Amino acid sequence: MPLETIDRGRIERLEILSPAGIADASLAAVIPAERILEMYRKMVEIRLFDERAVKLQRQGRLGTYPQILGQEATQIVPPLCLRSKDWLLPTYRGQGSYYARGMELRYSLLYWAGDDRGTRFPEENNDMMFAIPVGAHLTWAAGLAWAEKLKKQDGVALAYLGDGTTSKGDFHEALTFAGQFKLPVIYLIENNHWAISVPREKQAASPTLAQKAWGYGARGLVVDGNDCLAVYKAVSDAVAAARAGLGPTVLECETYRMGHHTTADDASRYRSASELEAWKRKDPVARLRRYLALQGLWNDADEAKLLEEAQAMIQREIEAYESFPAPNPLNMFSDNYESAPWPLIEQRRELAELLELKKAHEPVFELPPAEGRFP
Amino acid sequence: MTEMNLVQALNLGLSQAMEADPSVMILGEDVGLNGGVFRATEGLFQKFGPERVVDTPLAEIGILGASMGLAMNGMRPVCEIQFDGFLPSVLDQVVCHLGRMRNRTRGRYSLPLVLRAPHGGLIHAPEHHSEAPEAYFCHTPGIKVICPSTPQDAKGLIQAAINDPDPVVFFEPKALYRAARGPVPHEPYEVPIGKARVAREGGDLTFISWGAMVETCLAAAERLGQEGISAEVLDLRTLAPLDLEAILASAEKTGRVVIAHEAPNAGSWAAEISALIHERALLKLQAPVRRVGSWDIRMPLFRLEKYYIPDADRVVEAAKKTLSF
Repeated sequence: MPLETIDRGRIERLEILSPAGIADASLAAVIPAERILEMYRKMVEIRLFDERAVKLQRQGRLGTYPQILGQEATQIVPPLCLRSKDWLLPTYRGQGSYYARGMELRYSLLYWAGDDRGTRFPEENNDMMFAIPVGAHLTWAAGLAWAEKLKKQDGVALAYLGDGTTSKGDFHEALTFAGQFKLPVIYLIENNHWAISVPREKQAASPTLAQKAWGYGARGLVVDGNDCLAVYKAVSDAVAAARAGLGPTVLECETYRMGHHTTADDASRYRSASELEAWKRKDPVARLRRYLALQGLWNDADEAKLLEEAQAMIQREIEAYESFPAPNPLNMFSDNYESAPWPLIEQRRELAELLELKKAHEPVFELPPAEGRFP
Repeated sequence: MTEMNLVQALNLGLSQAMEADPSVMILGEDVGLNGGVFRATEGLFQKFGPERVVDTPLAEIGILGASMGLAMNGMRPVCEIQFDGFLPSVLDQVVCHLGRMRNRTRGRYSLPLVLRAPHGGLIHAPEHHSEAPEAYFCHTPGIKVICPSTPQDAKGLIQAAINDPDPVVFFEPKALYRAARGPVPHEPYEVPIGKARVAREGGDLTFISWGAMVETCLAAAERLGQEGISAEVLDLRTLAPLDLEAILASAEKTGRVVIAHEAPNAGSWAAEISALIHERALLKLQAPVRRVGSWDIRMPLFRLEKYYIPDADRVVEAAKKTLSF
């Protein structure tokens, strides 16, 4: 027989909750109601925050900001499947995933306002800084997971990426390592269907992105990324597999970026209104609300209370963000090296002298003490 | 003290670092069973096992990127990029992340990793196996760059690099792997990062160099000595941060400086050293600082490499021009 089948690829898709809010009872039942309510509250909070952040940018109170509208499920749900000591590596569109881990929203605002102090993550978490040039963090995730394995700990690393990033070499090198060394790592593709203006179809000819896992000896699964219950189950299963030593999983969560790429983008230049309308019907927040209402777990009064509390919380965060004192320019020199080499010592002194001169010309120029370690 | 060559000294240094600290691990292409294409990791796989001396897939970005993750999660990876000419593919990680991580995480994560790579030419290797790319790395804030020239320094500096809390790029002059021999103390020791070495004392002129070109400068100094000219040779050992004190001390002592290196001249690290000397010791100089580097063309295939990389003749010529200024 000249042709022999050695392996046959198989790719499955998971959806638990229909857009109408009807769940597959056997699968939904494994998730505690309290967890589902937590997901819902956090999704609503991050949606309201996102809306306010865009307004702040329009008012000139924030720099360029990447909206997450439409991706609330993939942002909020996966971190809830992790322990705080597991490693979380979001993308730049990751305010939601940091928030789900407990990072205060004031820091996300601070970061997008161009202030380095916005990268202070909660001490108890292993939250990693994202990479703005996409994909670099995927190999770090492999290394972080590798160290867990070498230290005989059961921590896992969960790294997010977008559909565009699956085209980058870093993705393939990360998966090569993850598969080869059977690392406890999860690569969660937030397939939001657009890499700025380039559609998903132009990233790869393969019918799914999850099937790429197969070429590296990893498990791959397509997940309805606007279905919180499916995302929760898929990520929890992948985490359990990773902890059990079964190696990496690639989850392709199908979602949709309903807003622009960032506040500097205009998606109407390249995207049809009808496509957006079709995705609105699969909105993850409305969908879960329908489910909760059908289950008798949520009503209009609950919703009104949540909205009121969320708005108040966001208002507090914005006020906290805006009341940070101006950063001390000398902060730039802190934490570059464990102990600073001579050029930094000299240059910091030079800047300090310049700041003194400036003070003479600008009497209002007042600075908080410098932060961080120096030298 | 044992007489050994540079690659044997490195091997001993790596071995002792692994014995001293169980978090030290080695990863790269062919570093395991094969012991590295230059034998720098020979025997380590047998001694420390496949979990600590890891043959990785052929993926440079993966090797460095995974090492960064390992370093941030408590390990001390020493990763090897097999040849200098394969380094550009990891520059993205080095420039965008390796040197920045401590600062962009407000001091929370440091990256105690060492990126090793062979450096330079003169071993008749194929294309992309004989480059001198140190300037790219020295221009990147947040990292340290080392290039030793003696077996004793190679061992002490690799141990210092592994123990350093910040990322270190460690260039190994491949022309000296076997050619440089010398006494090496057996017990573990560190040669401090950032300290240059006076390889030869002299009063008329200073050669500043690093890596394999230190040997070339010593040969040139020897020739000048026969003509009654006393040349000092300063081996920088660490390129970033530079030992400014040692550079200025020697420049002020002799008043004449020639910087010799294997990289193309334009934008080379010699330009930075020259600028520092002019900025800070101009009035002590008897002549402008002169640079002798390779030509500003790509590294030719090896039949012409000895006409591309400066040899003692070119270094002597540069010295004479400086002396007769």
